[in-house]
Amino acid sequence: MSVDRYKGFVFNPADLSEDVELELERRKQILHAEAGLATASHWEVLGLPWNAPVEAVKSSYLEAVKVFHPDRYCGKRLGSYRARLEKVFRRLTEARDVLSDEARRAAYARQSAPATEFTKLEVRRLEDERRTAERRARLARGNPLVARASQVAELVARGKEAFQAGRFGQATNDFLLAAGMDPGNAETAALAAEARKRAAAQKGADQYDKGSAAEAMGSLGAALAAYRAALEADPRHVRAAAAGSRVALALGDLSGARELANAAVRAAPGMGLAHEALGLVLEAQGEKKEARRVLERALELDPRLEGARERLKKLRWGILG
Amino acid sequence: MSDHEPVIGIDLGTTNSVVATVRDGVPRVIPSRGGQSLTPSVVAVARNGKRLVGVLAKRQAITNAEHTVFAAKRLIGRRWASKEIEDARRVLPYALVPGPERNDVRVEIGGRAYAIPEISAMVLAELKADAEAWFGRPVNRAVITVPAYFNDGQRHATKDAGRIAGLDVLRIINEPTSAALAYGFGKQIERKVVVFDLGGGTFDISVLDIGKSVYDVVAVGGDTYLGGEDFDRRVMDWLTFAFAKENAGIDLREDKMSLQRLKDAAEKAKVELSGTTSASIHLPFLVGGGEGKGALHLDKQLSREKLEELTKDLVDRCVAVTEKVLRDAGVRPNQVGEVILVGGMTRMPRVQRAVKEFFGREPCRGVHPEEVVALGAAIQAHALAAPEKGGSEVLLLDVTPQNLGIMVVGGYFQTIIPRNTTVPTGETHLFTTVQDNQASVRIAVLQGDGEMAVDNELLGEFILDGIRPARRGEVEIEVAFDISADGIVGVSARDVATGQQQSITVTATSGLTEDELRRILDEQIDDLLEKKQTAGQFEQRREKALSTVAEIEALRPAVQEALARTHFGKDAVQKAESVLARVQQALDGRDAAALAVEEESLERTLQLFKGLAGARAPGER
Repeated sequence: MSVDRYKGFVFNPADLSEDVELELERRKQILHAEAGLATASHWEVLGLPWNAPVEAVKSSYLEAVKVFHPDRYCGKRLGSYRARLEKVFRRLTEARDVLSDEARRAAYARQSAPATEFTKLEVRRLEDERRTAERRARLARGNPLVARASQVAELVARGKEAFQAGRFGQATNDFLLAAGMDPGNAETAALAAEARKRAAAQKGADQYDKGSAAEAMGSLGAALAAYRAALEADPRHVRAAAAGSRVALALGDLSGARELANAAVRAAPGMGLAHEALGLVLEAQGEKKEARRVLERALELDPRLEGARERLKKLRWGILG
Repeated sequence: MSDHEPVIGIDLGTTNSVVATVRDGVPRVIPSRGGQSLTPSVVAVARNGKRLVGVLAKRQAITNAEHTVFAAKRLIGRRWASKEIEDARRVLPYALVPGPERNDVRVEIGGRAYAIPEISAMVLAELKADAEAWFGRPVNRAVITVPAYFNDGQRHATKDAGRIAGLDVLRIINEPTSAALAYGFGKQIERKVVVFDLGGGTFDISVLDIGKSVYDVVAVGGDTYLGGEDFDRRVMDWLTFAFAKENAGIDLREDKMSLQRLKDAAEKAKVELSGTTSASIHLPFLVGGGEGKGALHLDKQLSREKLEELTKDLVDRCVAVTEKVLRDAGVRPNQVGEVILVGGMTRMPRVQRAVKEFFGREPCRGVHPEEVVALGAAIQAHALAAPEKGGSEVLLLDVTPQNLGIMVVGGYFQTIIPRNTTVPTGETHLFTTVQDNQASVRIAVLQGDGEMAVDNELLGEFILDGIRPARRGEVEIEVAFDISADGIVGVSARDVATGQQQSITVTATSGLTEDELRRILDEQIDDLLEKKQTAGQFEQRREKALSTVAEIEALRPAVQEALARTHFGKDAVQKAESVLARVQQALDGRDAAALAVEEESLERTLQLFKGLAGARAPGER
């Protein structure tokens, strides 16, 4: 072997010059191995890189014990070297035992891994865990009872996800299905109700947007239909009712307009918008007195309603004149 | 190579022993001076007070049963009070007596009590002498094998036997391990090997991982009360019952002589059935028929199926033990790369079939089941004595055969080093005191598989005192076990707070105290001196023997002429021939003792020849 095999290692001259029947090179080898035991990992003790395979472990062990088993020096004067040999041999055996046992080896590998390897290892471990979970779920589907439970859980999870993403229609469907499969579960029922509410609100808003777009483009019929649909989805959608009433009025459908305006007031008795719509219908129907009272109420609730203010001015003047 | 002092490996068996060595890189069995590879493990004291060992002892066993010791291996290292000894006392024809401290066993033959290691030592000394005659130089170092399941006491007793025989015992190794060494020697093997060793008295199983000439023992196990003799006993029982049924309830077991004949016949039939499907057992004049009646004979036919039926549970037990050991080793039967059969009992077809069924493969037939163990021991002896020379890179990594631990509160056994741990090894455990102001603790070192301390073998004990006064549980005591490569167990206990320490090296369990051992060794030296004297007398004896042989040879033509005219005496001449051959061997081996043994028969031969020759020509005398 090369000369600087023990580079940086200081031999104790007293140990080296002990009166034993061992060659100098062998003494150095033994002293060096013994000194390394305290800090070396099991891999290093066997002269192997981290995570070397089992075959390499066994092979290195066999080579090493040929040097460090006390039987190799049977009948020789060994002095303190006997104990040293035994110490090295025991450690070699321990390293072999740990590293050739599947479970102990895996644990030791994780524990003794260098930093970079450790990260890789952790990533792999997490990946493995995820796979295991998936596999378990897949297996579970085989069993009808477990399958049902896991399906419910899956639906709820998917519903929640959709809810978070704002896809309330999807969420409602999932929650309702889950509640149907597991009728006793109050939580699922509550979730379903909430999602349904949100879905309605959403549909209402959608239809309202559609309606206002149609109105802006002048297709009043389509706008009215959209506003009605919005109101149907969300009976508390005041703006849809008010806008619907306005469009119906423009189309000359007085009774329809009246109905929608009433719906708006029912949905939000505290909103000036609703009262304004009703007031405009009443005015068109010729009930001027009533119209004035309603419009005043609208302005009272919301002074910024310019349309109502204008209309009211005219009504006041009309009554006066 | 030749400048090295020779080393030998000895398989000290229950019924037979074998000695081997490695010469010129090849392991080989050393034949006895009689040219045999097996030496019976039998020791006897003849009526004339002469000690006989091996073939000579076995030859006179039937007529001298009370003074012939066989199967000493079953007794070695056992305690007087143990169950094994109790059983042995019932069945053995020779007398067992307790040792001086009643903790070991002695045998009384020829009016003297011998310790068991002394008996085994006589067999070992015989093998040593065989080896010395073969090498033509002194042999002092040896490896001796024992069953894997021998406990520490039995191993120490075997080692003591070696010492008494004048051998430096390099190592005691397990028989199955040894067989694996012989199997793998000189081959490039990388596989798991199972050694299935069903011998005369014990069943051993070992799992080894062989690679790069390193023999790594993974697990050992077995059953100390399962062997060929149990198979024999089944046959004997069957014969006795059948005999009792046919002959008005005569129990053959009451007569020692007929029991011995029955035992031999049962064994013979069992061996025969390994080759044939039916064996006949014929024992004429087995026992007296009672007042005024003729003697009774036994005549039975035993088929192979019947034998297999009688011994089915024994084979099943072997398989169950094998299964357990493989589980211990964490090895599945299909991972095993080779199954080696050792021991005479593995010749039985039913046993081979069971092994084949369990492992799903044909067992290895490349090894000689009776010699393989000794060959492996020789390989290990060689590896230990000359590890760097001769390119022999063999290294054996052995394990502890049983759990080692101490007794803890409640009489429980706390394992500290579990079985099948590779040696050398060490382990420490922390214990606490169990009483307030406890001043001392007794550390009882035990070996075995029992949950309770009493079910295990006590290896030794010591007391750690000078513990500082404290509440119970507050004092921590660290107990450290240490097993060296040659299996010597050291135990120490230390009070963690004060550093107070006590330790022992576990040794004195063979039953022989150190004093006794010294006395025996001294006697041995006396014997040796005596042998030297006899060696001095060798020349004198040689002269005498040569002149007698010459006289016999001179008479030979006359004798042959005389015999040509008559039918008598043909076997006498054959006997004479064998006596002459033995004398020649003793002369070649310069063995004064053997020559002394033959002197008497040589003299008798001369008288016989003179008589035969004289019958023709009486005038010549």
